[in-house]
Parts: sequence; structure tokens; C-alpha cells
Amino acid sequence: MALLSRVADHIYWAARNLERAEDTARLVRAFQDLFADLPIPDEQVNGLWSTLAVVAGDSPSDLGEAGVVRLLVTDRDRSSSVVYNVTAARDNLRSTREVLPREAWQLLNDLWLTVTRDADRAVERHFRGRLLNRVIADSRGMDGVLNSTMNRDAAFEMWRLGRYVERADMTTRVVGVRAASLMRTAPREGREYDEVQWMSVLRSLSAHQMFQRSTRNAITGTGVVRFLLYDRRFPRSVAAALDEIEMSLARLPANSVVMERLAEARSVLRSTAPSATDGSNLDMAMERVQIAIATLDVAITNRYLRLDSTE
Amino acid sequence: MTIYGGAVDELFDDAGRPRPAARELMALLDRLGHEELLARQRSTELDILTMGITFTVYSDGSNIDRAWPFDVVPRIIPGDEWRRVERGLAQRLIAINRFIDDIYNDQQIISDGVFPANLLDDSVNYRPECRGIRPRHGVWAHISGSDLVRDADGTFYVLEDNLRVPSGVSYVLENRAVTKRAFPELFEHQRIRPVDSYTAELNRLLLSLAPNDVEWPTIAVLTPGIYNSAYFEHSFLAQSIGAELVQGSDLVVGDDNCVYMHTIEGRERVDVIYRRIDDLFLDPEVFRPDSMLGVPGLMRAWKAGNVGLANAPGAGVADDKCVYAWVPDIIRYYLGEDPLIANVPTYRCMYDDEREYALDHLSELVFKPANESGGYGIVIGPRASDDELARVADAVLDDPRNWVAQPVIDLSTTPTLIDGELVPRHVDLRPFILTGERSYVTAGGLTRVARKEGSLIVNSSQGGGSKDTWILDGVIDEVDDPDAAARGADETQSVGGQTQSGGGQTQGQSG
Repeated sequence: MALLSRVADHIYWAARNLERAEDTARLVRAFQDLFADLPIPDEQVNGLWSTLAVVAGDSPSDLGEAGVVRLLVTDRDRSSSVVYNVTAARDNLRSTREVLPREAWQLLNDLWLTVTRDADRAVERHFRGRLLNRVIADSRGMDGVLNSTMNRDAAFEMWRLGRYVERADMTTRVVGVRAASLMRTAPREGREYDEVQWMSVLRSLSAHQMFQRSTRNAITGTGVVRFLLYDRRFPRSVAAALDEIEMSLARLPANSVVMERLAEARSVLRSTAPSATDGSNLDMAMERVQIAIATLDVAITNRYLRLDSTE
Repeated sequence: MTIYGGAVDELFDDAGRPRPAARELMALLDRLGHEELLARQRSTELDILTMGITFTVYSDGSNIDRAWPFDVVPRIIPGDEWRRVERGLAQRLIAINRFIDDIYNDQQIISDGVFPANLLDDSVNYRPECRGIRPRHGVWAHISGSDLVRDADGTFYVLEDNLRVPSGVSYVLENRAVTKRAFPELFEHQRIRPVDSYTAELNRLLLSLAPNDVEWPTIAVLTPGIYNSAYFEHSFLAQSIGAELVQGSDLVVGDDNCVYMHTIEGRERVDVIYRRIDDLFLDPEVFRPDSMLGVPGLMRAWKAGNVGLANAPGAGVADDKCVYAWVPDIIRYYLGEDPLIANVPTYRCMYDDEREYALDHLSELVFKPANESGGYGIVIGPRASDDELARVADAVLDDPRNWVAQPVIDLSTTPTLIDGELVPRHVDLRPFILTGERSYVTAGGLTRVARKEGSLIVNSSQGGGSKDTWILDGVIDEVDDPDAAARGADETQSVGGQTQSGGGQTQGQSG
């Protein structure tokens, strides 16, 4: 049975929303750990918290910990927050319940119940950690349910497309956080914890262990950036996400225009050779990749998610 | 346990002893104790919340889903009694469908002087656009839900027929699923008829409506969207029968008068539509031109025989509360049989003598507007203020055709958990009837319960709750003869042994 365009749209966005919630939860969790460790003055820590705002597309003004937690975790009205994205994912799935396995709906519905009930308690660090862990675990659980119980049909591929488009985008944004903190600190004063901060970027993407296994080198900025953008063996790298997108597109009908955009995104990624020490250079490089991914998203939308949108 | 004067209780006899069908249940509740019963009620409420079994309330801000209100103590009806009801409902719907088909075609019943022609002229559910159409099997109301009540004398009456887009069947299935979790002990040994064959029967019925030349018909459930109060059900049914859940904007009627849906592979033909939106919103070309929910050209496609529609537009002509009063005559006229299940006596205010009687007995009768549903606009005489009575009398005189009056039925009660106590509350029952090449009646139906003490309003939109309904076979009825009771006990045991594997099977089937 062919997939309704409207349903395709809801599934694609449910997947993007859930991936966004998960990736944001990983980011906040990792930096929370880092900031607890850094032996630097509180106001400097608050400054570093503020850099996380760049994943929301905001400039890193002086939000501090409380402001960032609102922006990225608890604010129901900000499209960057975990609560917003879990709610949006659930709303999207609500109108596609007949297509996905019932167990998947129940998992997400249950997560939504918990997150909306407990969001306000997330100001407290200990509780926040538990909430973020739950979001990450359930998001992974969703893929487990779908992988093990869902037909490999167009709806399944739409879910994967949404997941990997969002993941590619979020990986560049997490690298962008490091760019923002490089720009914020003058070359000499803050750089003493350079390695720890790059380690947190890896941890934000659950990449620390895999990075070590794959490179067997000391952690350097250049090594981390290369790994997160180009290493196709690591499933959260941009290159790996683009590979997954290609696999799903190949199983969808009339894909040629979207495939062209994908090829362009790959070539933009390849031609980007960002500096790991110059913050603004790194920031601009990530922005170029983000624009290429956004262009790919527009092509997917025009081709699959609009009514009467055949090539 | 207090019993209301007049009303019978479904589970207890007049002496306060459990009825035969309720004995196992009550024995279990005694063994479990009060705390455990409350714990089981709480755990079903949690199940309902996480399973996302909801109904939608209009204008309720952003939180539009409400958890489905459910009472864990089931309502039990003996199997032999139910067999009579089943036959009566099938009979009733066959006759009603003959009537609708006749009304839109030859109008034989009018020329024979059995049914008054002028009733059609101001029926809000009569659709002149449907004249001359002959749907497959001569059936218009394929899926219906008739509301039954049990009066003080213990008899089931039909209170009304819902022939347009009756809802609630998904909750019949879901209530069973959660009750099985709550009382697995009772399903092991008792012969409780399974309910989940409904979706297979519905699928078979819908497939039978596909155009002749289609080998693998595509079925779609047409919903007004997520803000509709029954959206959960639309989605549930689509899921259960493997149909597409579509909104009006997903569909388009082509120049060839066929219906298509917009898919990622382009337009794809739709052969049967189970529509859950009202007639008037179905096709802006024919009905309300401002409808955003419908599909322009759908009526053309249906008339051309290119798509099956369930229920057929216009089927509602027979669920008007005035037409209701004629149903016994309709059964006799078309089938030459006496009705197996009775109507509630009904005074038709369009007739002078019946209206006068009704107005003379304002404070004893229930007044119902002919074309409302969901319990809206109903005035219950004995509970109304003088002011309300004066207003309904004016309304009746103003538009007599729009009103019927019925005696107050002492709705039966059944034990219900309210604020932690098991107390009697009034219930009704909505079985679902499928009519096509053959007829099918759900085993039981949706029991709705009025949660307020003494209240008769059971609609979930107005705070009513629901219960699982058991049709229990193998119930031994003689209670006064101790020997018979002993024999009965033995027999129940052996019956239980026999059906154990069967019971396990049905449990395994449903999810």
C-alpha cells in the first residue's frame, strides 16, 4: 500500500523531533558533567553554559545555566527544547498511529506523559540527569521497536530519513558549540582545558569511546572534528548519516532530484576543511554544511511530503 | 449494597444476592478484598493512560485527549438472554435498511399508507440527493449502534438507533483488553464470549462494498481529523483492519469519477470509504459548499459505482427520533414478523392526540428533540424545574414535528466504583450491528455508566464512564433448589475445564 503524503510528512517530522530531543538531551548531559568538573570560577562556567544556546540557533548571550536549561530542556514553547520536541513527536505520531506498530506509539506516549509531568523539576541537576537519560533511552527504544517489528515499507524509510537528516544537522550544531566557546575565550586564558572540552563534544555525541578505538591517538581538536564529520564507521558522524539517508532514498520511488541534492551535500561536506582552533572559521564551516542539509530537507519535502508532488 | 427503588440491578437480585452470572465475579471480589480491587482499578487506569486510549473533548485547550473513563467491575449478561437480543437487533437493522432503500426509491411504504409522507419533508436527515440510488446489497446503514436500556421489569428496550456515524466500538475492544489484564482469573474458567471478531467482520463487510472489477480493494477510513471526539476510534479501526486513515484533503475525485488518494507514489485509487464524517460535510459539490472536511465529487463517484461508501449518505433518515416510533411497523411491513426486541413507548408530538397526552403529562415524561445526538437537548420531566417544563412545552408547540416524549425508564444499575466504594449506578448498552450480505452483532457492546448518583446521562462527553460487558455462556440459572445449585456447580466446573484452552486462545489473540 502506498504511503499517504500527509502521513509521510508526520512520520518524517516525528522522527526529526525525537532525534532532536535525544541529541539535545545528550548535549546537555555531557556539558553538565563537564562543567561540574572544570576547576574554573562560577561566572566562567555560566559563560560556557551560554555557549550551548548556539544549538538552538541563538547567539550565546548570557543565559547561564538556568536560561540554557529552559531553552534546551523545559520550555514548552521553544522549538529547541526537549519537552517541545517530545510533545511534537508525539503529536505527529498521534495522527499516524495506524501506520506504526502500536508498541511504538505506547512507548512515545508514555515518554510524553513523563516528560510533560516532570519537566519543571528538571531545574534540579540530579533530577534533570534522570529525565535526560529517560529521553535518550526511550528514543533509542523507539528505533528498537521499529527495527524489530515494522515492515520495511515507505513509512519505515520516512522514519529513517527524518532521523538521519536531523542527526546530521545536530552533529554539526554540537561541533558549533565548541566553535562558540573557542570564540568566547582568548587563545591563552581558557585553552588550558582544551582537551577536556573537546572530550565533552565527543561525549555529547556518545563518541568518546568510539573515537578512542578508531583513532588510538590523543584527543586533538582536528582529530575530533574529522572523526565527527568524516568517519563513516561512526553512526553519529555527518558522513555516516548521509550514507543512511542514501540507503533509504534508494528504497523510495522517483528519488532522482533528492539524490542530486544528497550528492551536493556530500561534496559540500568533503570540501569543508575546518580549523579546530579558529572558532569563527569552524563556525562558518558548520553553517555551510547545515545549509546543504537544509537544501536536502527542502528536496525531500517537495518530493515526498507535499500532496500531488510527484516528479 | 443499596438498590434503587424501581431499577433492577444487573449483578444482584432483589434480595441483594449475586445473580447466577455474577457469582464467580463476586466470589473473586470477596477473596481479593477491597484494597486489591482498588489497586486493580488503579492499574487499569494506568494501562489506559499509557496505551493512549483516549477520547477527545472539544474546546479543552491544548490538552485535547482525555483518558477513557473506565470502571473495572464488568457488567454481565447471560448468554441465552443475549441470543434473543442479538436476533432482535439483526432483524431490526434488516428492516430499517429495507425501509431506507424503499424511501430513496419506490416509496412503497408511503403509497401503502403505513408511513406518512410529510415526515420526510422536514426530516433534517433525509437527503433528496440520494433518490434513485441502489447501493450494493440494498444496504445503507452498514454499521449501526442501537442504544439499549433495561427497564424495571428486566426487559431490554431499544432507546434509539444510531445509523450515521455511531462511535464506541473501539472502546468495546479496548475495555476487554484491559479487563483481561485486571481479572485474568475470571477469563480462565468462564465462557465469556470474545469481542475481537468485530474488526474481521467489519473488514469483510467493507471489502464486499468494493466495485466489482477490483481484485484487491483499497479501503480508507475517512476522519475529520485529530480534533474530532472519536479520532482515537478512527485511528484504531484503520489500524485494526489495515485501512488507510485519510482526511478529506488526502483524497481527490478524478475526471474519471474515481476516488484517489495522494501518496508518495502519486495518486492511488480508493475503492471503499468507511466515512466517519457527517453527510452534510461529505461533498461540498452536493451538500455544504463550505465544508473543508469532505471531498468534492465524492457523491458523483459513489453514484457511478466507482467507490463504496459506508454508511451510505442519507442513511440517517431512519435514526430520526420520530421515525424511531415507526420501527415496529416497519419491521412488520417489510419482514412480516413481530419485532423480537421492543421500542420504548413513544408519543409523537406531530399528532394532536399524542401531543396533548404528552403535554398533559409533562412532569412524568422524557422529552427528546428528534434530531440531536449525544444526549443534548433532552428534558427529563420528573427532574426538571417548572421553568424548564414551561420552556419545553413552548418548544414542542413551536415545532411539534421535532419532538417525541417517552415514559421515564428506570434504567437498570450495576455496581460501580465511585470514590473507592462499590455503589449502584445506571447503565445503558450500545451493541454494534453490521448489516451487509449477512448480519453480525457484537457480543455485548459498550456499557456506559452514569457516574453521578441517580443520574441517567451516560454519555462520555457529559462525564459518563464505561465498563467491559460480558456475554457469559454456560450460566446455570436455578438458584432456589439446593440440588440444582449443587449440580450447577459441578457443571460449571466441567464446562470451565473444557473451555480452558479456548479461553487461553482468545487471550492470546488480542493485543
